[in-house]
Amino acid sequence: MTRSPVWRLAIILPLLTILLALTQIRPGAAADWDQGVLRVGVLEEPKSLNPWLAGDSWSSHVQALLYQPLYLREPAELKPAPWLAAEPPVFDPQALTYTVRLRPAHWSDGSPLTAADVVFTAELIQALKVPRFASLFAALKRVEALDQHTVRYKLSRPDASFAARALGAPVLARKQWQPVLEQCRMTQRPLASLLQYKLEAPLSNGPFVLAEWRKGVYIYLKRNPHFFGQGLTIAGRRLGPEISGVVFKVYGTSDAAVLALRKGTIDYYWNNIQPGYLRDLTRDPAVRLVHSQKSALYFLGFNLRRHPTGQAAFRRAVAMLIDKQFVIKRVLQGSGEVMSSLLPAGNRLYHLDQTPDYDQPLTRRQRIEKAVAILSAAGYAWDQPPAWEGDRLRPGRGLKDPEGKPLRELGILTPPADYDPQRAMVGVMAQEWLGQVGIPAFARPMAFGAMLEQVKSRHDFDMFVLGYGNLPLDPGWLGAFFLGANDKPRGWNMSGYHSPEFDSLANQAGRAMDPDERRPLVLEMQRVLMKDAPFLPLYNPTLTEGLREDRFSGWVEMVGGVGNLWSFCELTPRAGRARP
Amino acid sequence: MSVKDQITAPAPPRRHPWRERLLENWRVFHRNPLGRVGLILLAIFAIMAALSVAPPLIDPMYHPMTGVDPEVMHSSPPSWRHWLGTDFMGRDILSQLLAGTRVAFMVGVSAAFMSIVLGVSVGMVSGYLGGWTDIILMRLSEIIMVMPTLLVVLMLAALFGKLGIWTIVLMIAFFRWPGVARVIRAQTLSLKGRPFIDAARVAGASHARIVFRHIMPNVLPLAFLYMTFRVTAAIIIEAALAFLGFGDPGTVSWGMMLQWVWKTGHMFQAPWWLLPPGLCISLLTLSFYMLGRAMDEVLDPRLRDQSH
Amino acid sequence: MTRYVINRLVQIVIILFMILTILFVLFRLAPGDPVARMVDPNMTPEDAARLIAQLGLDLPIWRQYLAYLGNCLTGNFGHSFHYGLPVLEIIGQRLPNTILLFSTGVLLSAIAGIAWGKLAAWNKGKATDLWLTVASLITHTLFLPWLALLLIWVFGYKLDWFPINGMISDEVWLDPDSGVLMKAWDVAYHMILPLGTLFIMHFGSYLLVMRSSMLETLKEDYIVTARAKGLTEKAIRNHHAAPNAWLPVVTSVGLSLAFSINGGALTETVFSWPGIGRELVFAVSQNDYPLAQASFLLVASVVLFSNLVVDVLYAYLDPRIRY
Repeated sequence: MTRSPVWRLAIILPLLTILLALTQIRPGAAADWDQGVLRVGVLEEPKSLNPWLAGDSWSSHVQALLYQPLYLREPAELKPAPWLAAEPPVFDPQALTYTVRLRPAHWSDGSPLTAADVVFTAELIQALKVPRFASLFAALKRVEALDQHTVRYKLSRPDASFAARALGAPVLARKQWQPVLEQCRMTQRPLASLLQYKLEAPLSNGPFVLAEWRKGVYIYLKRNPHFFGQGLTIAGRRLGPEISGVVFKVYGTSDAAVLALRKGTIDYYWNNIQPGYLRDLTRDPAVRLVHSQKSALYFLGFNLRRHPTGQAAFRRAVAMLIDKQFVIKRVLQGSGEVMSSLLPAGNRLYHLDQTPDYDQPLTRRQRIEKAVAILSAAGYAWDQPPAWEGDRLRPGRGLKDPEGKPLRELGILTPPADYDPQRAMVGVMAQEWLGQVGIPAFARPMAFGAMLEQVKSRHDFDMFVLGYGNLPLDPGWLGAFFLGANDKPRGWNMSGYHSPEFDSLANQAGRAMDPDERRPLVLEMQRVLMKDAPFLPLYNPTLTEGLREDRFSGWVEMVGGVGNLWSFCELTPRAGRARP
Repeated sequence: MSVKDQITAPAPPRRHPWRERLLENWRVFHRNPLGRVGLILLAIFAIMAALSVAPPLIDPMYHPMTGVDPEVMHSSPPSWRHWLGTDFMGRDILSQLLAGTRVAFMVGVSAAFMSIVLGVSVGMVSGYLGGWTDIILMRLSEIIMVMPTLLVVLMLAALFGKLGIWTIVLMIAFFRWPGVARVIRAQTLSLKGRPFIDAARVAGASHARIVFRHIMPNVLPLAFLYMTFRVTAAIIIEAALAFLGFGDPGTVSWGMMLQWVWKTGHMFQAPWWLLPPGLCISLLTLSFYMLGRAMDEVLDPRLRDQSH
Repeated sequence: MTRYVINRLVQIVIILFMILTILFVLFRLAPGDPVARMVDPNMTPEDAARLIAQLGLDLPIWRQYLAYLGNCLTGNFGHSFHYGLPVLEIIGQRLPNTILLFSTGVLLSAIAGIAWGKLAAWNKGKATDLWLTVASLITHTLFLPWLALLLIWVFGYKLDWFPINGMISDEVWLDPDSGVLMKAWDVAYHMILPLGTLFIMHFGSYLLVMRSSMLETLKEDYIVTARAKGLTEKAIRNHHAAPNAWLPVVTSVGLSLAFSINGGALTETVFSWPGIGRELVFAVSQNDYPLAQASFLLVASVVLFSNLVVDVLYAYLDPRIRY
């Protein structure tokens, strides 16, 4: 500290040069151990690999490679294919039983997977009422192992979703979890203890097994030599896995992940790529962009308990004013499709293919005129209705409801712009469009947690824009969202929709064990819902993912993206390419 | 004025003493380069804030929050239509920047003002009354002062879910008063012993009257000085909160702009969006800080450099 | 002196206790449902209610409070809602990372600030002083997240000299061949940008304090005496002025600790550095009460204890102060 400036420079300069030189040594230059290892970038690491606790998407990504279900949807037709099961379940309508025969399979420690594991899983879920799965097994009365490889489920009542949902739940190892269960039973709060159990070495019945998890940085999965599917052909697809392992690299921000993809440090970024990056990525020859459909629903919800949103005519007018094509083209930058029904088009079996009048391509002028017509017919009146002066619109003013009272300010709740710019923008546009006709609507971005609280628990809203990115293909949730009985705090009927017609259809559909019987019921449910419009479905965004094909090939495209179990089982390393 | 001039010039006519003092202070302030630069910067920002009402009036598509440009729906570089380009939703960045100036001033000044009011009151009361009141208040201020304000406000922000801009202002004010209070208390203590206070007490003035009528005017200049420092803290905290995602989603502030550019993945692609907000925050903070340092010199004659 | 320290320690305990209570009350009062985020379309309201019951959130308030206090005293801060793991474990994993980054940052800034402050004071009025003071003023008021983003953009993206975030590269740590030295260098490599950010932000305040403190000291009588005695300027500067000028800097470190901690949390968030600050921000956004509470408590304790240490250090260094 007592050196003169010259001295100081003499020390700093060499240090800096050395520092700069060192930064050119990239730590981790080409190594041998990771030949054949797929590198996947993720935004967040799994919360936990404890299957009872964590059902969020980041945890599911990794868990899907470890814990396998009896039936798995195949990519072509999205029908459940026998996975751990050897053949489709045998249903006895009289006895209300499903009989499932298992394939020969083993756990990652070599021990055999038997019917006892399947029975154990179902019984644990029921006994402790594990929140993640409890409702799937609600109709289960009893489950028993007929022999080492056959399981019989007996239902207490018909449940149309049972086969798709409950039999699609993962099977866990009795050997691992039985002692844990016993421990938890001795505590005051068995369920909490189970959820908080720290899982060190999960037994896997999937294509990979956990090798190392360095928190916050990476998860390394190695190929499971005991994977039952190795070499098998299921649903017409030949399975491996041919890759020796998967490394999930955790990047805190999308910037880092996309950069890594471009640099070649990862082979696949398992997340939707926002439009901001697409320009650069489309120009990059090494990166391939894959567009997939999603089983998603983004919608505008109305509060039917309030006025004027409780009036069907008002809702229909709002539906008329919202230009979904514009939303797709501008807000989603073309990356999505209009949703005219609550089930997306990708759900081929149950999707209602009809286009209501408000989803036809109409000009702004036509929309406004039609909306005004709808409102006038319902008894709404203006001091000054919207009028056209040549090409310019003079917005309507002084809109009054059929009882002559002026409309109060209506709030459109949306998530904040950084959480989901698209939904926030939809709120803003809706505000503009409704305002043109004189409806005093205001977009209100809110912190997501607070918004959920207001919408689901307190039912304190007029309209809101929400979305579900990953809806089950089985339409059982449709009932949950709109059954009159579910209109309660924290209940799933957020709109407060009560329709005896819908309730009877939904209950019938819930009991229809025969798909041919169920399908028309579900279609009719959608028709009723579209007529009453408690939700206005808006769009189904396209999932855009980025991957590299210089090291691996064989990605399987499917509804929900390229990151599916089939891809992981079918990917093969390209010959002779070392790491860049 | 040189020494010779000072001796030969006629004595200036008598004016009100406080006006004379103000002018003298202004001269000192003005002489200080920090003060000059700070004032200029502040003036620029004030103009920006005033101009912020203009863009939506020119064309609704320039509205910072709801501006919908029919032709541009994505982040675009500066152009004739949009002098600083557009953000990811096609909203004009310049109008956002101007609106943010308004928010920054509002938040900064309100939070500072409130914390000063609180701090001065507490400081005076504590210094004047002494005893247990003093001890308790000072302990309280110690605790609050020592806490990292951002993290505390963050905790509160998350607890209460949705945060309006005024709630944020209140919270910031609540955690910044201790610094002022201590200084004011010290001043009050030194004033307490002065003869004019004794005279007032003898004349039968109540405590409240003494405190507010006699002590407060003498304490205010110091309070005013400290207000400038509070402003910088308030602006930074609000910006940091907005940056982390806990700000008021309905308000466009500079911190919010940075959050948008960061979270929507345009950090590397859109320097026209990344640079202005941060630059503004830094410059506004700098200007208040310089102002504060210059005023420091005004108030504390010892700091005045005699060898100019 | 000992009595003073004990007094302060008792105060700290009381303050921490108050903070604990306030936190508890605030968390229970707050709107925002901790379960809302954990719920997916499969869960019925009954399931959600069961989850809440299992997490103990439905007991009467006073019982929760007592359980809470008892747990805290025994060091059991509960399980994170989000991770399902014991909070202490998570904090234990994150704390060393923060200590590494934060202390290095403060140390470097302080050393540089003191050295350059001395330089500036000595060259008062000349170019060196002007540049150093201007640099301090400007860097001191920069907006930290913006500075961090700029550094990432320039040095990480455009020039590709440094990684744009994180603490370690999996390539190095997964490779069974890499040794301890390689791993250590990997961490250091990742630390350069965040460290740079902290350094740039904080050296300025130390510099300015040291500078004004030196200027004050140089006016003192004993300096005049020293000069009259014929000592060299260098000797006067380093052996007479500097040691006394140190003291206000020490207090300044303590006072600016809160400011630095804020900065640390922001730095960790932008650089995805897996430390306590970032964990706190994350926990707060997820309504993960136990983790957020414990993290905040940790930060508060650190601040309180450091202030105590600073005060004691000050008393130790300044012979004029005696408790």
